[in-house]
Amino acid sequence: MNSFWRNFARNHGAVVGLVILLLVIALAILAPVLYPGSPWDMVAAPFAPPGEMGMLLGSDSLGRDVAAGIAHGARVSLLVGAVSTVAALAIGVTLGAVAGYLGGMADEVVMRFTEFFQTIPSFVLAILLVAIFTPTIQSIVLAIAVVSWPPVARVVRAEFLSLRSREFVQAAEVLGKSRLAIVLGDILPNALSPIVVLSSLMVATAILLESALSFLGLGDPNMMSWGFLIGSGRSVIRIAWWMSVFPGIAIFLTVLSLNLVGEGLSDALNPRLARNRGGAA
Amino acid sequence: MTRLLTVENLTVGLPRGADRPNAVEELSLHLDAGEILCVVGESGSGKSITANTVMGLLPKGLPVRSGRITFEGDSLLDLSAEALRERRGSRMAMVFQEPMTALNPLMRVGDQIAEALAVHGKGSEAKARVPELLSAVNLPDPAAIARMHPFRLSGGQRQRVMIAMALALEPALLIADEPTTALDVTTQMQILRLIREIQERKGMGVMFITHDFGVVAEIADRVAVMQHGRIVEQGTAAEILNAPQHPYTRALIAAVPHGAAPERQAILPAPVLEMKGVTKTYQRGGWFGARAVVKAVHAADFTLNKGETLGLVGESGSGKSTLARCVVRLVEPERGEILFHGADLRPLSRQGWLPYRKRIQMVFQDPYASLNPRRSVGRAITEGPVTHGVPPAEARARALELLRLVRLDESAMERFPHEFSGGQRQRIGLARALAMQPELLIADEPVSALDVSVQAQVLDLLAEIRQRLGLTMLFITHDLRVAAQICDRIAVMQHGAIVEQGPTAEVFGAPKHPYTRALLDSIPGRGWTPPVLTESA
Repeated sequence: MNSFWRNFARNHGAVVGLVILLLVIALAILAPVLYPGSPWDMVAAPFAPPGEMGMLLGSDSLGRDVAAGIAHGARVSLLVGAVSTVAALAIGVTLGAVAGYLGGMADEVVMRFTEFFQTIPSFVLAILLVAIFTPTIQSIVLAIAVVSWPPVARVVRAEFLSLRSREFVQAAEVLGKSRLAIVLGDILPNALSPIVVLSSLMVATAILLESALSFLGLGDPNMMSWGFLIGSGRSVIRIAWWMSVFPGIAIFLTVLSLNLVGEGLSDALNPRLARNRGGAA
Repeated sequence: MTRLLTVENLTVGLPRGADRPNAVEELSLHLDAGEILCVVGESGSGKSITANTVMGLLPKGLPVRSGRITFEGDSLLDLSAEALRERRGSRMAMVFQEPMTALNPLMRVGDQIAEALAVHGKGSEAKARVPELLSAVNLPDPAAIARMHPFRLSGGQRQRVMIAMALALEPALLIADEPTTALDVTTQMQILRLIREIQERKGMGVMFITHDFGVVAEIADRVAVMQHGRIVEQGTAAEILNAPQHPYTRALIAAVPHGAAPERQAILPAPVLEMKGVTKTYQRGGWFGARAVVKAVHAADFTLNKGETLGLVGESGSGKSTLARCVVRLVEPERGEILFHGADLRPLSRQGWLPYRKRIQMVFQDPYASLNPRRSVGRAITEGPVTHGVPPAEARARALELLRLVRLDESAMERFPHEFSGGQRQRIGLARALAMQPELLIADEPVSALDVSVQAQVLDLLAEIRQRLGLTMLFITHDLRVAAQICDRIAVMQHGAIVEQGPTAEVFGAPKHPYTRALLDSIPGRGWTPPVLTESA
């Protein structure tokens, strides 16, 4: 564990990313304390620039506090990012494991199914799904999960294919362990590193997808979110830049921090690769 | 004779945190023109580092701390990079261990050799020299080979190309770093003869790095033995091989499998395992394009009696591992009978196989890949019995007993595989198999990834355990000396078929099949019998 942190900390960008990410998480947790009451409430005159009327980041066209929107939006963004990633992992790991471990016909069927999803532009499919199921937080999470599992399935399948032929897995077969015990006990723990790295990047993508959906007005109408803030400020961007710029910065920083953390995780889990890269630079 | 290369008091450091301060320490050796110096040692003894230092190929993390290297009168360590580059290839050349990765896969073989010439300003001669060089390394049809890409050549052919490339500019010094280790035994013999022949013809000095005393006996004029970065003994081949002085050399030579089978009690015909007409073919392709069919195992028949050890020998790709894996159903053969105490195992389902898992166990080849890196040794040994319903406490007690049996400390239980050396891991793998209390043990090249002294320990342990537990064993190996030492009977495989089988003494003493004869002729150093060394220090 110690060497894990040492390798992680060697990548300075990853440490910065982790700090930003922790700040965003803290903001999300403390939102009801910092900004009690609904972020939808009118608390000031419309179009107040940042710093005026006690509005740290200004108010929007209906007099709502942009800072409160960002704080409460952080909860939605992180929640959607985390839950949809877990759901996508559940689908992707299961299918990838089945394809990689069983091989043969099962592999063919699962991979053709996966390719079917990969050939459809994912954002269009997400819009379609949300539109069909009416925009709620559940349907958004579902839509994001459905469009983001195929890469997981491919990575897991590749790992399983190579691990399946390793001698320790064959030894487990010879010991007479059940298939499930081999998959869960022998193969999956050794395939975790790429899955962990991939999932940190998937959270980032999911946050972007959710923002994009909200921007198009397909967000949950009862939930404040960053994409919605940008979408509603878009029409007045020339006279009130702060309405869209600050939520945009929030998205930018969160996604950047997740990517940095993902890279740091990758370095920490594959220290040899990281060192080689350091040597080449 | 002219002194070609002198290395004096060479010390090369290791990065901090390594197991010793220096990779090579106070090393001195010399090489004359026209002689072959074998540098022998086990893995990690610093023999490759020595070769790389001479060539100026040391990785950045390894600094030369002191010493002089003189080559044809110039001090190599003081030369500029450019001056060194001029000598590399033209005056001194190197052949590497792994022929599969040492050639550029995207370039035709002839072009790669021509490039070696062009780099040293002799590109104009390439057209004439390339076929000449390829035929000098005994490759058939040089013109055709020159136009091929490396992937179309076999390992032995690639190594010949590497040698041709190294010889292109007629260097005075050839450094060969384990050039035959990755090759099959018959190919190895051809390459050894080739190096010897070219060396005699051109009067080169050859520094030949190896871990195999058989190869030393085959090729060396002089020998330097390395241990922990130091040369412990140096002398002529005859001196070192037949009258070693240093305790380490004596231990190494004592560990060379002597190929003589100990006295054994007679084996009664009580079949434990009978294979009848087992066949496994692999098919590639399909859908579009032609199907390629490979007969991995073809109509294999053999019988294994109680308490007997049958050796399955053959070169890589002969199907011996596939056949062994058929027995434990890691590979499913499409035809034939696998009779275990008279019951056919082949048609059984996964469930139906379960009771036999306890009775048939396997030890794997690669000690670094055969243990789950994320599982403690204790769990690795106990999980088999626990899966089959043995109470965990009892399994644990048995695991402790087994650790003692394979001569590991009890503290090993809580540790993880990466904390152990290759030989120790192989013993853990053995304990894991024995934990099931099997009757039949399948050992798939259990010692081929180990250093010779460790190999001897594991072989002794296997023999002792087999004796004590009355195990029946199927022993797969490519090393005929090992087979001769441990097996009661031998089955020789070639191209997926068993071409000859019989009692060990008979097969090795009076081989009937031409392939068996070829194999026996290719054992490196077959003319040399390791001296019987009484004490081992």
